[in-house]
Amino acid sequence: MADTLHNLYIGFSVALAPQVLLYAFVGCVVGTLVGVLPGIGPLAGISLLLPASFGLDATSAIVLLAGIYYGAMYGGSTTSILMRIPGEAASVMTCIDGYEMTRKGRAGPALAIAAIGSYIAGTVSVVGLMLLAPPLASFALRFGPPEYFALLLLGLLVLAYMSGGSMLKSLAMAALGLLLGMIGIDPMTGFFRFSYGLVELGDGIGVVPVAVGLFGLSEILLTAGQPTAPEVKKPKLKDLLPSRQEWRDSLWPIGRGTVLGFLIGIIPGSAHIISSFVSYAVERRLAKDPERFGHGAIEGVAGPESANNSATSGAFVPMLALGIPSGPIPAVMIAAMMVHGISPGPLLITQQPELFWGFIASMYVGNVVLLILNLPLVGIFVNVLRVPYPLLYPAILLFCVLGVYAVNGSAVDVGIMAAMGALGYLLRKFDFETAPVVLGLILAPMIEMSLRQSLAMSSGNYAIFVNRPIASVMLLIGLALLLLSLMPFLMKSIDWRQRLGISTANEGEKL
Amino acid sequence: MRLNRRNNIFLVLLILLLPAIKVSGQEKYPDRPITIVVPFPPGGVADLTARPVAAALEKVLKNPVVVVNKTGAAGAVGMSFVANSKPDGYNLLMALSSISIIPEADKLFDRKPAYTMDQLIPIALISADPTIFVVNASRPWKSVKEFVDDAKKRPGEISYSSSGVYGTLHMAMEMLIQGAGIQLKHVPYSGGGPALTALLGGHVDTLASGPAVVIPHIKAGKLRPLASWGAKRVASLPDVATFKELGYDIEFYIWAGLFAPRGTSPAVMKTIREAVKQAVNSVEFKTAMEKIETPIAYLDAPEFQKFWDKDAKMLADAIKRIGKIEIPEAK
Repeated sequence: MADTLHNLYIGFSVALAPQVLLYAFVGCVVGTLVGVLPGIGPLAGISLLLPASFGLDATSAIVLLAGIYYGAMYGGSTTSILMRIPGEAASVMTCIDGYEMTRKGRAGPALAIAAIGSYIAGTVSVVGLMLLAPPLASFALRFGPPEYFALLLLGLLVLAYMSGGSMLKSLAMAALGLLLGMIGIDPMTGFFRFSYGLVELGDGIGVVPVAVGLFGLSEILLTAGQPTAPEVKKPKLKDLLPSRQEWRDSLWPIGRGTVLGFLIGIIPGSAHIISSFVSYAVERRLAKDPERFGHGAIEGVAGPESANNSATSGAFVPMLALGIPSGPIPAVMIAAMMVHGISPGPLLITQQPELFWGFIASMYVGNVVLLILNLPLVGIFVNVLRVPYPLLYPAILLFCVLGVYAVNGSAVDVGIMAAMGALGYLLRKFDFETAPVVLGLILAPMIEMSLRQSLAMSSGNYAIFVNRPIASVMLLIGLALLLLSLMPFLMKSIDWRQRLGISTANEGEKL
Repeated sequence: MRLNRRNNIFLVLLILLLPAIKVSGQEKYPDRPITIVVPFPPGGVADLTARPVAAALEKVLKNPVVVVNKTGAAGAVGMSFVANSKPDGYNLLMALSSISIIPEADKLFDRKPAYTMDQLIPIALISADPTIFVVNASRPWKSVKEFVDDAKKRPGEISYSSSGVYGTLHMAMEMLIQGAGIQLKHVPYSGGGPALTALLGGHVDTLASGPAVVIPHIKAGKLRPLASWGAKRVASLPDVATFKELGYDIEFYIWAGLFAPRGTSPAVMKTIREAVKQAVNSVEFKTAMEKIETPIAYLDAPEFQKFWDKDAKMLADAIKRIGKIEIPEAK
């Protein structure tokens, strides 16, 4: 303990140095902007600033890039809540309940809870990163393709808890998402599937154009399609702070979201995107009155927002403790470290304590900076809603197109966004949920890849899934969840027979 | 002229058509920012090599040089973009050895190729990393001989990861497989990072990898290098023999080179080639490359063309030998 405190002291003395503090601040601001802009996500932001970071010293560079990453998670909730447009893929779930809260005039509290939940999650997960990095990283390394497959299958099962309304419709949408995820290069054989000759579809349909189109564009089209113009919202000051009830309701979701997000984040790979989906489903499942979800439940904002923030700290665990690139963003940060002559590896923590502890301390500082930055901005952002729709929505449309184009410099992405926008409009007119499409799109390529990798590892033997402890445990949990969700059906049919039995007994008596 | 509606429309049309009027004449090249397209995500080998090149070129040419990532389809998107762009010298390509693989793979699948290799002309070779053969430290093999003997005893059981089917790391292992006459189990991943992670986690036994990313893990004792695919030993690993020394006639480099679209005028090509030669010899470039542990292996265009042809032929043969990957029946 004394050791840790001493190291933290070193870390803070590095992190609070004026230069490092400045770059942390710059990173957080850029990250927030990048998160607010629809389409552009943290990866694009980090790539843009990567060359600028080459001229700085190593600690400032890493602090700058990390600031962009978790700053984007703060900013991404803003457009999600205010306009139902996801700032990046991880903010998709916040759109659902966040926007409903805005429609009820509770935009301020939603933004505030999102910021505070993100802060708590960010800070607590940095504590986890600081204390548990090496053992957690070794645990995370044991996640191979079979474990990955089991985890993703759990993510798929979680779909059942994601939406109210017709289960059939949700499943249909999930199936659509899974089918869309099939497009792209087959990872095991190199075939181009469903690419229709477009090289750009080789990596499949991107999540970002689909999310922005299905949620954002469809919202714009729906609003434009209303017979009367909706009245412009004029939020009052006292409506900006969450009520006591909302505070109480958010506490547990924030806690659960933090733990869940962190655990999912430490697993190498791109799984941390699903942390917000899983958190939403968990909150919905555990709520006493789940019908509120989808109509403005604060838990649906607090949980996912906390989860995606702590997932970012989780993503740093394998990167710092073992030097492995656990995803595209840690890979860029490892590259940034290598450019400065630091080779990330298992010995990073011991060989470069100033870097590691300075990084940890700067994350504490960064989270505080972001909280201070975002809370007052809630008032400003909410006033954006006062802009009349004929001016606001075309501007939003412009930003959506710019953001989606900027991710890959690809006009095909913009076309996909437009097509998805039209599809989303139709789907919502017919009362279909759009979130399962995005989840299916994210999961399908990953599930397929891990399944086939597992089978390649075992030379075709399916027993590999039960022979490995972590994988079999997760599959059992999935099975249990599946059976639990079937219980209501079983109960109902037993109940029906019992009721029939009683009434025939009554009939019998009367006769 | 009266500003009535008809004249308004004329004026607007005129203004819109102005950009179409090109002032012809000898513009000095370069007079606009030059773009180096990197067809891979940021942080990878191509990206890390391109940025020092761009910075050094900018100093030499006294003209902005920008790096743009155009990712997708294992590099095919960015490569076909440059191959099909106007050959005016403002769109250059920083490609890896996979540039020779993608058209061959397309041929294998009877696809219309995203680009062909004669749509591009080489400017210069910048770096050529020999690939290193590493095994997870917990595995028993301490030399290539032990490994090959074990592989012959249990064909198809020892596994290796790669950055993707027909990718550079897959090709390197294929050459070992052919050269030693063994059978290994291939578990493809999407990218070098995940492939390395799988090896570190013990989910696969071996990997062929570029040196920069594995050296820290070798030093920490998590991975053991058995041999390298270079002609000479890797400088930072002086105890690791080359396959050639061990008797296998195989060489494989993950090289990075600059290309331009075919049709670029000889004058522009000469300017670029001279600039690159100067840039590669500059002190800042050398320091930058040292930091990312990538040795410079500069070859000017004519030598690069020979190198590229030889490398491309070797890769094409390997791809034909691998053929289409058949999925075996599940048990």
